[in-house]
Amino acid sequence: MSNLAAERAARTDGRATLLRTLDVLSMPALAMFLGFLGGAIIIWITSGSLETVGAAYAGLINGAFFKQRGFSETLVAMTPYVFLGLGLAIGFKAGLFNIGVEGQFYIGAISAVWAGVAFPGLPAIIHLPLVILAGALGGALWAGIPGFLKARTGAHEVITTMMMNYIAFRLAEFVVSLPLRDPLSTAVQTLRVSPNAELWSLWQIPERLADPLNALGVALFCALCAFVIVRWLAPHARRVVVGGIVFATGAIAFIALPPLVKVWWLFDDQYDRLHIGIILALVAAAVVWWLMYKTTLGFEMRTVGANPNAARYAGINISRNIIVTMAISGALAGIAGTIEVLGVSICRCLPLFFSSGYGFDSIALALLAKNNPIGIVGGAFLWGAMRNGADLMELNSGVSKYIISLIQGLVLLFVAAPAVVRYLLRMRAPSKTEAEAPLTRGWG
Amino acid sequence: MAVLANKQRAIKISSRQILNAVFIGIGAVAVFLVFDAIIGGKCDSKCVIGTLNQAIRYAAPVALAAYCGLMCERAAVINIGIEGMMLTAAMVGYGVNVYAFTWLKAGGMDPALAGDASRWLSLLLAIAASGLMALLHGVVSIRFKADQIISGTVINILALGITGYFYRQYLAQDIPPGPGTFAPFDIPLLAQIPILGPIVFQGQKPIVYFMMIVTLLIHYVLFFTPWGLRTRAVGENPRAADTLGINVFRVRYINVLLGGALAGFAGAWFTLEAVDVFNPQMTNGLGFIGLAAMIFGNWSPFGALAGALIFGLGNTITTTISIFRPDIPSQIPQMLPYVLTILVLTGFVGRAIPPAADGQPYEKQ
Repeated sequence: MSNLAAERAARTDGRATLLRTLDVLSMPALAMFLGFLGGAIIIWITSGSLETVGAAYAGLINGAFFKQRGFSETLVAMTPYVFLGLGLAIGFKAGLFNIGVEGQFYIGAISAVWAGVAFPGLPAIIHLPLVILAGALGGALWAGIPGFLKARTGAHEVITTMMMNYIAFRLAEFVVSLPLRDPLSTAVQTLRVSPNAELWSLWQIPERLADPLNALGVALFCALCAFVIVRWLAPHARRVVVGGIVFATGAIAFIALPPLVKVWWLFDDQYDRLHIGIILALVAAAVVWWLMYKTTLGFEMRTVGANPNAARYAGINISRNIIVTMAISGALAGIAGTIEVLGVSICRCLPLFFSSGYGFDSIALALLAKNNPIGIVGGAFLWGAMRNGADLMELNSGVSKYIISLIQGLVLLFVAAPAVVRYLLRMRAPSKTEAEAPLTRGWG
Repeated sequence: MAVLANKQRAIKISSRQILNAVFIGIGAVAVFLVFDAIIGGKCDSKCVIGTLNQAIRYAAPVALAAYCGLMCERAAVINIGIEGMMLTAAMVGYGVNVYAFTWLKAGGMDPALAGDASRWLSLLLAIAASGLMALLHGVVSIRFKADQIISGTVINILALGITGYFYRQYLAQDIPPGPGTFAPFDIPLLAQIPILGPIVFQGQKPIVYFMMIVTLLIHYVLFFTPWGLRTRAVGENPRAADTLGINVFRVRYINVLLGGALAGFAGAWFTLEAVDVFNPQMTNGLGFIGLAAMIFGNWSPFGALAGALIFGLGNTITTTISIFRPDIPSQIPQMLPYVLTILVLTGFVGRAIPPAADGQPYEKQ
């Protein structure tokens, strides 16, 4: 009897979860749909034929998934979006609009190049984390300055981070064309980072793992993951057991992985740019989720974002909170820039005309995902697919690839004002007025 | 009665304002000395006048952007989409200028006349385009009550997409020769005033002169007309304004549209006055700098103009340093205006008081 009741409860609970998930997903899905519809109308008007619309969107899908290496290129483009989206989401959660992720991305890239060039000869197990740390620190510093100014003087972060963007662009140009310029290259670009600082492409993994130090690094990473998973699944497990499992995982990874990947490895295409950054991105999403929902710091951030006055009465140090939030947000953006240099750019350096636009796209992405780390991974995949498919679309249909930005702008519009979507689709307003925390605050 | 009180407030100059002016004066002299030292003591009186003249030219788009923000925010609509409105206007201005000119010339019009006609037409359409973006911002933030800063970001990102799309589709290659920018001219009588004339009233182009007129106009409208009073009431306490029978939504819409038109002038400045090309990065954050100037000026037109002039001076000095000292990497002075903006903003923001209802959507009861 009680068994039956529990079963029914579980079933209705499952159905409620499903319904809730669908409910949460419906608005972003509608926004995407309307965005693409708007894009189609614009293509139709400017080109004068419906066939162009079809050709463009077919090219987009082909380019994103079905052309040679299309899918892996989508994952490559997705990686920085995950980091930048997470950075923006952390800011939004704490009531800060870090519109300067683009600049922090550049500073991260510069710092990474510097750290990658300055210490030749270090083994990858030290150098790679060092370079990523440098990129994160650069981004954190670049975002920390506006955070500090906001905390001390109240200067609004939208204006200051925007200004920091332009300073970062000039700084990047300066660094590329003078201090770090590669004197041997005809193109204006920085020196190449040390091979040990590169992010490994997936096809390189067998040869990289042949080096025992690299294998050790991977084993440590696996052990860390095992530790987190064990603690998550069995929070009260005894210390000896946890230690045993972690040690065993690490040891097995260290001994078994190198010969295993030599015998069988999925990736053997040397022109495939897919790199381990995508794994880092997924890890980052998990870490940010944990930070936001399972730590005191994250709780404080969300409290400050939801209601600064309540947070102040509760004794939360708002100034410190603003600075820390901005720094974390900037660090994530900096890592995105680092990954772009270490894993994606062909020269493993920073060229002069390095324009990303990732940062501004990510604003729409973070809001589309409602600042939810899982949603950001999904949204980043869509954004990466659009960015990657845009070139083939332009080639096939003659429609400029900037239509992607237009579509993303429309998506942002519909996400920002769900009332517009409801109005356009003649939907009823939700019965319960959802008391959502405001995303941004005015100058006051 | 209230009008009278406001008139007094608008005219009265406090001792702090005098102090501020003195500080700014001392700062200006110091800046000049440093600047002169950097370029090697080559700045004579003619160079000073030329620099100031140039500073006003560069200040125009920033000031107009600031007035756009001012009009919107006095009615409590935050507008960070100015940058996007300007970019759209700049693109429309350039595109219409080039294609209208070609079209008119092909129709057998005299080239000089066709040039004039297409320039004014493109100015008009640039303003209309910017106004359309402003209308979108207004509808989203007033009618649909979205977060206004996000709504402004929507404008910025949409503008990036729109300008990028049309630029790549129509304006990147095979462009017919255009009629060029507006010609500079002097204001007849005022240009003869000894020092002021050459600095302010000589050799500027129409939008710069328009900026000067509109400064006075906004000050007058905002502080001396019923419309200005209504605007400020809506910005400070919309509920009270509504109770008195003011249509809050209408006031906000009209102010946002006026602001959009001003941003249109600011955008047209880039392609119809400054240079005869368009590129999608050309506004370079000037819309945001305009917002900083607005905050610096405590939401008043003359204050905003002062902020814009500081920026214009910074920009001019930057350009001059790049010309005289090619050994300094040009990127370093180019950072200067942005650093300046941050400094000015952090120095003044705490003391500036935004309209009380700024950023809050109005719910009619």
